[in-house]
Amino acid sequence: MALTTEPPTRAARAASAARTVRPRRGGIGAIDRKRQRWGWLFVAPFAVVFAAFLIFPLCYAFWMSLQTSTLAAGTEFTGLANYVKAFTDPIFLGGLGRVAMFALVMIPAQMLVALVAALVLDNLATVLSKFSRLMIFVPYAIPVVIGALMWGFLYSPRFGPATDLFALFGATAPSFLDQSSIFGSLVNIVTWQWSGYYMIIIYAALRGIDPSIYEAARIDGANSFQTALRIKVPMISSSMVMVLIFAMIGTLQFFTEPQVLRGIAQGAIPISYTPNMYAYSLAFSYSQFNYASAISFALGIIVFIGSYVFLFLTRKQSGLK
Amino acid sequence: MSATTAIPAVNPKAGRRRHGPEARTGGRRVGSHLFLLALVIYFILPLWWLIVAATKDTSGLFTGSGGPLWFDSEFNFFDNLAELSTHQGGIYWRWLANSFLYAFAGGIGATILAVLAGYGFAKYRFRGRSLFFNLLLGAVMVPLTALVIPTFVLLSQVGLVNTIWAVILPSLLSPFGVYLMRIYTQDAIPDEILDAARVDGAGELRTFFQVALPLLRPAIVTVLLLSIVGTWNNFFLPLAVLSDPNLLPVTVGLNNWTALSNAGAGGEQVWNLIVTGAFVSIVPLIIAFLSLQRYWQGGLSLGSVK
Amino acid sequence: MKSRVLAAVGTVAVAAMALTACSSGGAAGGGEASCTNKITKTDVPQVTVWAWFPAFEQVVDLFNKTHDDVQVCWTNAGQGNDEYTKFSTAIEAKSGAPDVIMLESEVISSFTIRQALVDIGEFGAADVKDKYTEGAWNDVTSGDSVYAIPVDSGPMGMLYRQDLFDAAGIAVPTTWDEFAVAAQQLKDAGTGGVLANFPTNGRAFNQALFAQAGSVPFEYDKTKPTEVSIDVNDDASKKVLNYWDGLVKADLVTTDDAFTADYNTSLVDGTYAVYLAAAWGPGYLQGLSDADDTAVWRAAPLPQWDAANPVQVHWGGSTFAVTEQAKDKQLAATVAKDIFGTDEAWKIGIEQGALFPTYKPILESDYFTNLEYPFFGGQQINKDVFLDAAAGYSGFTFSPFQNYAFDQLTEQQYAMVQGEKTADEALDDLQESLTKYAAEQGFTSK
Repeated sequence: MALTTEPPTRAARAASAARTVRPRRGGIGAIDRKRQRWGWLFVAPFAVVFAAFLIFPLCYAFWMSLQTSTLAAGTEFTGLANYVKAFTDPIFLGGLGRVAMFALVMIPAQMLVALVAALVLDNLATVLSKFSRLMIFVPYAIPVVIGALMWGFLYSPRFGPATDLFALFGATAPSFLDQSSIFGSLVNIVTWQWSGYYMIIIYAALRGIDPSIYEAARIDGANSFQTALRIKVPMISSSMVMVLIFAMIGTLQFFTEPQVLRGIAQGAIPISYTPNMYAYSLAFSYSQFNYASAISFALGIIVFIGSYVFLFLTRKQSGLK
Repeated sequence: MSATTAIPAVNPKAGRRRHGPEARTGGRRVGSHLFLLALVIYFILPLWWLIVAATKDTSGLFTGSGGPLWFDSEFNFFDNLAELSTHQGGIYWRWLANSFLYAFAGGIGATILAVLAGYGFAKYRFRGRSLFFNLLLGAVMVPLTALVIPTFVLLSQVGLVNTIWAVILPSLLSPFGVYLMRIYTQDAIPDEILDAARVDGAGELRTFFQVALPLLRPAIVTVLLLSIVGTWNNFFLPLAVLSDPNLLPVTVGLNNWTALSNAGAGGEQVWNLIVTGAFVSIVPLIIAFLSLQRYWQGGLSLGSVK
Repeated sequence: MKSRVLAAVGTVAVAAMALTACSSGGAAGGGEASCTNKITKTDVPQVTVWAWFPAFEQVVDLFNKTHDDVQVCWTNAGQGNDEYTKFSTAIEAKSGAPDVIMLESEVISSFTIRQALVDIGEFGAADVKDKYTEGAWNDVTSGDSVYAIPVDSGPMGMLYRQDLFDAAGIAVPTTWDEFAVAAQQLKDAGTGGVLANFPTNGRAFNQALFAQAGSVPFEYDKTKPTEVSIDVNDDASKKVLNYWDGLVKADLVTTDDAFTADYNTSLVDGTYAVYLAAAWGPGYLQGLSDADDTAVWRAAPLPQWDAANPVQVHWGGSTFAVTEQAKDKQLAATVAKDIFGTDEAWKIGIEQGALFPTYKPILESDYFTNLEYPFFGGQQINKDVFLDAAAGYSGFTFSPFQNYAFDQLTEQQYAMVQGEKTADEALDDLQESLTKYAAEQGFTSK
């Protein structure tokens, strides 16, 4: 598969087509082997950063998590006790469950909005559709903190427009910042912020489909809905995988939106709302760096394994050889 | 969900090869347009609110006559702007400059590293390549937020906490950028082209710069935008590692003002400045996206048709 | 088009490098303090101070103008919890803390237990004991050890809207029973407003209401740092929380979060007819007051449980402490003592920042007693309300993990107003979680 809708150059494609089978592993000569060491030189700068800001912090977190430091009794080595505590800590487990819930709702919501918007846009080429494409994308240009601040205002029962808007239809606006609706309110912010970007990715992929395929489908009597569902969606599956990766990264990082909204809804968003918030509060509000490290490390490792498995399974869609 | 984001980017040739809109019945087009209109209203409403709110003073914001979605009788945008430049010695502009600095230094640095590493992974079979790349695959989704606490402790031990490096250096880490660059590189640069260059006597570095790099341009722009926006958005890291107000990026700075205004005694209520500051800070990005749209739109989609 | 992309990337790169260059020429080097205030005398030692007092810049300028041997470099590092988080971070990083830091008295124990504060008794702080009120001094000391210099305090009173009271025919309540009756009267008047708000995130505010009925939540001595006793589910606390729960259930009070823009507006637009406030409350209110010019505010004493035996309580109150990271601890202690150590500084603090002093020369002066507040229609609120409220205060003990305790209190109270728990259950659960936490943190019960 190709990564772009367009191969980089014609020459490259020609060269590619003319590629002959070469020995990959076995018969590499001495000169070639020497040349392969250049690979390390190219990778080295990244490797340094990778070691310094990923491997080392993870190891350091692990080392710290093996000790316990308390306010009154000082620091001692306690082995895996912090992990036993973490995986029996209802607050941590509750946070994990909440993130899982967010993943289940938020990721499909974003992808669905993005996909539908892209499919509709793909069928239109009017001034309004161009304008819409830009406007749907614009929230992506807004930093998450500012997006959350804005929605905080809009959710306000007093200053927000919700009361007036709902009154137009004779309804009472829900209180967005209550315990019962905060989940939906957060999902809404995330969907608003990211769907436009995902829409652009999907849209670009749709534009790359050879239109003659549609002709064939039309001759076969498919309507545009069927075309979309049976032809377009399967053909952009690798873009959907990419969007899924983005959305998963975003959900796992879930911190900024609840942290900002917590400023105006402290009851509905407790300090331990997501594992990230919990670790942050443990470390920086309660100065329990060791336990916070255990939670960070546990979270990091869970994600690390999950990420590897996911990317390994989708390597075909993403074009990894 | 803050740090890692991406942006589709340039394929310079995208414009020329697209089919026209399919023939449609009028009714369905109206339906599609109505649907789009509803979407646009949803996506644009908060922005409209922000534009309107930036023209109000603090009491207008809360009790003004125009309501949340319309202008007041008074137009205070320029007053707000002037106050923004004087409040706390005009620190807002410093925050904005910091944000640019962090975004570009971190974004460009991360891109350079990603291009080099992606090329290395794609085009060389060095010892340890598989192991390293598998580690990288695992790292792609590890949230920065899980690393911030140990990173903070690490930085504090080398005395870098509360300096610009505490933000810039960790921002250089972009496993996802490397992942994208590797996929793109192995697809866009056939080994034969490189071999041909080598036969012509070019060294490895020259081959990379003169042959490979030009072919990678679309992916480079993608990763660059991805990294810049990611760093620009970053909140958790600077929140944890910076305490000097003069070093904050605009995101953390405005959040501090919000906290002050929420809790604040009289005189610290600067909602008008927060709203105006938020507005001003997103203007450059929106202008950049609108004026550069031909570069990011329509072209490269990260992973696409088989 | 390719060249345009290159040009764009190039421009961006150059801009970034230019920014890097000018920034590293500035304050980016790290370690070098950057002050919010302007320092004119650059050749004398500087002491860095974190504080969020309103109008503090003028106080700093005054200090710097009148001192030739030391200059204050001031930063507003955030308010309350935001500042404490940064301080906490700096303690862990072992660098980045200021020399002198503003702390509310409720968190002093939380930092002494981490050995983050200097005992400034030996640096001359013990000598100024007599200049401060007894209660404020007790809050910052333990035996001969002095961990901070008191600055302002927060004796509580009741600020109310005379105009709304008159309209609804409500007499100013002096007891909590009358307060409940007044709440019902206001509701019956049908103006849409409520008498007061009961914020579940009131933290020290909620604690003060409990304390008024006799609750002593914590016993803790900073000189015996590993012993603490916890009693947050006593009868007094339960009485108070049940009382408020009753008002909440009867829709007589709201439960909006405090310290949000919504809450602030409700304070000034007549949604709440009463603001149960500390002495710094009027300053807070004044900053918001441009919303409604017709509001008529007056101050009265806090309602009592037993009118015959009034109990006064405090909410808030700030101090200056010297941190262990201070470069010159003697100099820092001097600054902590002297910033608010003059009448001139206090006049700024009182008139611009609406602070309520713990510094007796000004607290007991005729100037302060008779001060008329235009916001209250010229009422002498200190004489009428707050000086009496301050007089009865003998100090209050907080736990060494107060931030955690307050966060837990917020969660429990929120569960209560959501109808998930009764007031008794909420406090029992709070007791359980705090006891468990204290044990985990290695404390022994007294």
